[in-house]
Amino acid sequence: MGTPTWLYYLSGVLMLAVAGYGAVLLVLSLASRRPAGRDVDISHTSMGIAMAGMFVPKWAFGASAVWELIFGVLMVWFIARSIQSVERFGLHVPHALVHAAMSFAMLLMYWFPMASSSASGSMAMSGSAAGSHLDSGLGALLALVFCGSAIFTLASPNKGASHHGTHLPSYAMSGASGSGTPVGSHGGEPSPVGNIEAAVALPWLEDLSHVVMCIGMAFMLILMT
Amino acid sequence: MAVAEAAVDRHPNTETAGAPRGARSQPRDLQRTFQLLLATVWLLDAILQIQPFMFTRGSNGFSGMLNGLASGNPGWVSHTITWNATIVDHHSILTNTAFALIQFVIAFGITSKRTIKPALALSIIWSLGVWWFGEGAGQVFHGGATPFGGGPGGVLFYALLAVLLWPSTGPDQPFVAARTVGVAAAKWIWVAVWGLLTVLALVGSGRSPKALHDLVAGLNSGQPGWLARIDRSSESLFLHHGTTAAILLALVCVIVAVGVFLPPQATQVTLVLAMVVFATIWVAVEDFGGILAGGATDPNSGLLVILLALTYWPLAGTRPTPITPAPGLTTVAKEA
Repeated sequence: MGTPTWLYYLSGVLMLAVAGYGAVLLVLSLASRRPAGRDVDISHTSMGIAMAGMFVPKWAFGASAVWELIFGVLMVWFIARSIQSVERFGLHVPHALVHAAMSFAMLLMYWFPMASSSASGSMAMSGSAAGSHLDSGLGALLALVFCGSAIFTLASPNKGASHHGTHLPSYAMSGASGSGTPVGSHGGEPSPVGNIEAAVALPWLEDLSHVVMCIGMAFMLILMT
Repeated sequence: MAVAEAAVDRHPNTETAGAPRGARSQPRDLQRTFQLLLATVWLLDAILQIQPFMFTRGSNGFSGMLNGLASGNPGWVSHTITWNATIVDHHSILTNTAFALIQFVIAFGITSKRTIKPALALSIIWSLGVWWFGEGAGQVFHGGATPFGGGPGGVLFYALLAVLLWPSTGPDQPFVAARTVGVAAAKWIWVAVWGLLTVLALVGSGRSPKALHDLVAGLNSGQPGWLARIDRSSESLFLHHGTTAAILLALVCVIVAVGVFLPPQATQVTLVLAMVVFATIWVAVEDFGGILAGGATDPNSGLLVILLALTYWPLAGTRPTPITPAPGLTTVAKEA
């Protein structure tokens, strides 16, 4: 009995599911011109693909430098969004801040990579083999933050807030939660894209994808300690 | 800021949207907030439970860790612990998966108002089981329990918080812990907890300089450099002034125990004292429960004691919490 490779494969599959869902939301939002959440969709898609490659190294692709660039840009973007939100709505914890923290965590994962097991193609049991180690205090702190984000997201009555915050009106969030004219409609008749979006872009599903991502990321950070 | 302005352009409806500022000034349901903080710790525990070594058999695995807790306990306690460790050893994947799932269920169960009561009830049962089988009854039976090391058992604080945060209607005043069990009962629970901590600080190995030194020395392997340096200072302090430190801790526990009977401002001072002392212990002695060394199943008692102290924070003078909070109020401060 040893390394639970099935756990890493399960985690990898869940990360790919989040990435796939984010990609679908992104395509739909572009097609329907849904005004919000594209940055989070891009973020979840990128993180899901990247983390799947960390849980199951043989699924990894792309140069680390490219991923670092992507997550660096995302982090700056979400920090800017957070500052903007505080400026507009006063002192509060902007939802973009946790996405900035997630982007930062991704950067850490690339800067301090885990060892991989050549036999199973999945992650090894023990910590980094890359010479330098992630400070386990920072990793554990981020893991705790992501656990908190997952729990408060699940408990939030504002479904979809993990994608859109609490400052957007429901009609701007998704076709499913809209109270006015359905997104993607033309002349009062819902378009095919609008119908698909209404079925897929469910606020609770968006929250669930965020929760899965938070837990996957917290798990990875704990493994790195 | 160009990027931020771009964000506004992408979301042209934001200027007309959002919760009115008035809504943000509504009082928060603090009992709910504390419940979710407790759930957060449960979720962290669940994730710690699925670390690879937990699935591993033998002395380097979870069963080995459990077996190690049996030594020193009376035979009838020790037998139950080794019996459990044997089962875990023979079915390491199955048992550890079940243990992790239970903790995920507790964490997620607390997030829903429909399932919070069963989840908290399960957490109490689970905590007591873990206290016995997973913490060796907190080392209480062989005199090794000291508040410096998490005695009488960090997991007992989960159970205590589950009782004090049991869902109930009504105001959070005079403090959140009183909302369910009442002011008098909450205060006597507090006195009992801190009275027990006082006793444990003074009896058994709790006041032994060598035992306290060894307590820290046994944890510092694998810690990050900055924490290892703090550990070395703690070891030195305990070796030379262990008894004094134990007596001072006992004195602090007595002050904190009676603090809830003092006027609110004085109570706040004693609560701050409790939080500072246990935050220090959590870092410098408990090493965050060993999480940073990669071999822990929970963050030990320090974090939970701080959470417990916060539930006793006097709230008199603030507006009462509505009995039925309007949707959207409980998570205003936490959007994501």
